Amino acid sequence: MSLWRWFTRRRRERELAEEIQAHLAMAARDRMERGEDARSAEQAARREFGNRTLVQETTRDMWGWRWLREAWQDARYALRGMRRSPGFTAVVVASLALGIGANTAVFSLVETVMLRMLPVRHPEQLVELLQKYPGEPRGQLNWSWKSYEHLRDNNHVFSALIGTSIDSRARLEVEGCEPETGVRESVTGNYFPELGLKPALGRLIGPQDDPAHPVAVVSWSLWANRLHRDRGILGKRILVSGVPATIVGVAPRAFAGLRVDARTGVWLSREPVQNGLALMARLKPGVTLRQARAEMAVLYRFTIEERSAGNQDPQIRHLSVEVEPAGNGFATVRDRYGQPLSVLMGVVGLLLLLACVNVAGMMLARAAGREREMALRTSLGAGRGRLLRQALAESLMLSAAGALLGAVVAYFGTGALLRIIASGREHERVFLTVQPDLDMLLFAAGIALLAGLLFGAAPAWNAFRSAPAMALRQAGGAGDTRIRRLFGSGLVAAQIALSLVLLSCAGLFIGNLASLERADLGFRRDSVLSVSLDSAASGYHGERLARVYQELLGRLERIPGVRSASLGGPTPISGAGASGFAEVEGFQERDEDRRWVLIHYVSPKWFETLGTPLLAGRDFTIQDQARRVAIVNRTFARYYFAGRDPIGKRVTLWHVTLVPETRTYEIVGVAGDANYAEIREPPNRGIYLPVFHDGRVSGSTFEIHTAIGPESISGGVRRALRDVAPGISVARIAALADQIDASIVPERLLALLSGFFGALGAVLAGIGLYGLLAYTVARRTNEIGIRLALGATARDVTRMVLRDALATVAVGLVLGVPMAIWGRSLTVKLVRNIAMQAAAPLLFGAAAIAAVALLAAYIPARRAARVDPMEALRQE
Amino acid sequence: MARREVYRNRIELLQGTLDMLVLQTLRWGAQHGYGIVQAIRTRSGEVLQVETGSLYPALHRLERQGWIKSEWRPSEHKQRARYYQLTAAGRKQLASEHSRWNQLSSAIAGLMSPGESEGQA
Repeated sequence: MSLWRWFTRRRRERELAEEIQAHLAMAARDRMERGEDARSAEQAARREFGNRTLVQETTRDMWGWRWLREAWQDARYALRGMRRSPGFTAVVVASLALGIGANTAVFSLVETVMLRMLPVRHPEQLVELLQKYPGEPRGQLNWSWKSYEHLRDNNHVFSALIGTSIDSRARLEVEGCEPETGVRESVTGNYFPELGLKPALGRLIGPQDDPAHPVAVVSWSLWANRLHRDRGILGKRILVSGVPATIVGVAPRAFAGLRVDARTGVWLSREPVQNGLALMARLKPGVTLRQARAEMAVLYRFTIEERSAGNQDPQIRHLSVEVEPAGNGFATVRDRYGQPLSVLMGVVGLLLLLACVNVAGMMLARAAGREREMALRTSLGAGRGRLLRQALAESLMLSAAGALLGAVVAYFGTGALLRIIASGREHERVFLTVQPDLDMLLFAAGIALLAGLLFGAAPAWNAFRSAPAMALRQAGGAGDTRIRRLFGSGLVAAQIALSLVLLSCAGLFIGNLASLERADLGFRRDSVLSVSLDSAASGYHGERLARVYQELLGRLERIPGVRSASLGGPTPISGAGASGFAEVEGFQERDEDRRWVLIHYVSPKWFETLGTPLLAGRDFTIQDQARRVAIVNRTFARYYFAGRDPIGKRVTLWHVTLVPETRTYEIVGVAGDANYAEIREPPNRGIYLPVFHDGRVSGSTFEIHTAIGPESISGGVRRALRDVAPGISVARIAALADQIDASIVPERLLALLSGFFGALGAVLAGIGLYGLLAYTVARRTNEIGIRLALGATARDVTRMVLRDALATVAVGLVLGVPMAIWGRSLTVKLVRNIAMQAAAPLLFGAAAIAAVALLAAYIPARRAARVDPMEALRQE
Repeated sequence: MARREVYRNRIELLQGTLDMLVLQTLRWGAQHGYGIVQAIRTRSGEVLQVETGSLYPALHRLERQGWIKSEWRPSEHKQRARYYQLTAAGRKQLASEHSRWNQLSSAIAGLMSPGESEGQA
């Protein structure tokens, strides 16, 4: 009913006018009947009636919905204002859209990675159990079945302990469907019941499932996209990496496993005693994290004893257990992207603040131009509250427009961010699913409202305390209050300070990325093609595979454009690697000083191909496959031999990955250090062993040094492979440089985005300064005219404007430097592996801002210099 | 702005009474705004002059409360005018306001009567 009135408002307005018109007509007629002439009767009737508009106003108030009506008026007025100055509107809306869009995009990632809870029962009670070596940033999830049982049966703090082992590259085959690679979880029987999940179809895995007959639950998305929502799949067979299981159900749609970065495709019931478990527990109600940690520390001794038995690795004694909240899943992505994302959130927050200050400055300047309008309206009876609301309505309209456009920016921005994040190395690649949902929209609307209030406060206050008499008296508006001018400059100085912070932050990240890209890795990045082969399905293994690979090496070297080819394992910078402990004759070390030695299996010509120098001794030869020989790296030689010649000495390796027995090797060479494992870490002690040994081959990645672009020979490589070993497939073929790039995605993400935002901030500050100067020059045209008339030269005037600009910039820089320094130390604290650099980023930021400022000041300064004194004086 | 406040105050001051007077006037039949002003003036012996700035808001408010309803029809001079008419709810309201008014005026009269010599205005 009331809403209906609101819609029929226009008709009611018309009727009210007509009603009043009728009243006046009747009053006039009565007077005329009493003998007055038409004109004076009409005038008298009007006089008697009083202020017609006011009567209409107060009557309308009785209809209710007054606030809505006024809000509508305010909105229309604001829209008119926006249309009248399209340039201003465009700049404001664009800068707000970028600010709001960037915030929303980054927030959507933060939400997905760090905030969103798993769609399970009471996710806030969930904790994960990690094992950690001292000093290691990330914990391991790898638990043995026995430890699981021990913890499950002896703790008093958890209401449940669930275990799952995750294989991210399982091969999933269902009859009648294309096989695909997906994520497989093998879960303990209490997994689904304890998470409180209900099946979308069929049933879920439960404790009653017989380990002898594995059953499988497929994910909703696998069922919907690959199995065509076939209800008949229940009871069918699925092969998971070759292991058959019976499909018993479909998981609920919202649930895709316990990690945010990987969507599980299938869950299998597991056999007990299988190791490699990730553990998640549910805290009993009332039990605190501290109590859980204390109890786990005690129970963990069991695991340490278990792990040390039959394993002399002294480091195991230093392992400790950690209990961390895991309501949003296992923390692997959080560890990797949590910090960069927090920093980015801060950066975009600053950017939005900068945009708000910028818009506030522009709105204030515009409000000053409309001072007379405001004054006129006040003296015509507009309420102060009303003017204030109107000013706020204008700000909110602008920020609403900014938010709308910002949502579009966020949509594409999120896509771009996800693409960058997904470009990482295979084993740490992150597949996030970020949907533009209600949370995002609410967030965008919320920050838009906040921004509107923030930048609208100054103009609103201005409207509120406008003094009509003063403003009306100031004819041309030549006199500007000192306070206001200072405030305007203050806003611009704040923008400059903020953009200095952004720029120096960008400088820090860009510098960090550049140093990683420039870092001497000890091997060649360019002109190397890296070809990983997969021989699992080929039927070749052992000696036969070794022979095929040797033949292939020969074929590869004959491809035109190839300088040398070599085989090795593991692939450089893949993040994986073999390791073991070394024992050198005549070298004593305490157990706690022992460190892992990285082991690389390489073929002859490896050093030549990758450009790692051989410092002493000789390279491997093909005959070495029958001998136990090794080449050590420089760090190894320094540590174990300290200046003595290692050639001919013997080293014993034990506890080597995948090699059960202890072996002794003769050192035949010393190579330069190379950072094969991680480019962020300093070189480790490393040792090279022949890739062909004991009639086997311990590597599957061919590195090929080319004289031409590395990718251009990939056709030749595939042909050679087809000829020599048709059954072997290519797992991956890419330039080594790309592989290195893929290993520094978080760094690139930070550098790229902070650079973009820094540039944006500088542009905004430039616009702010330009606006201020242009406005000042316009207001001071009169004064400048007088100066020119009194003999000032155009240069004096230019200098005056530039001096103003410089003063503002200087204040901004003085304010910004401590902020930037503080921000930098905060960043260095937050982000791992980032070096506290010298003043370079700060200087870079300051220089960039000075350049932008000069550019921004140029046009107003020139305009000031071109003022025609006669014109200016006439313009009163 | 200032003048508007004055009008408001007057509406509030007169509100109860004005509503009652309007309702009372409409007891004699449907009437338009101008007619109501004239009726109150003549029946009060030219003492009560209803301001249009109070009357129209009052009419619209009463209509919204459902005590009167309106319709457009031609006046005696073929002028289209909006006629207001009492509803059943309005009659009830008038009765209760009338009795309240009687209470109030007798109470005030009782208070004022001891000082007979002055209490006239």
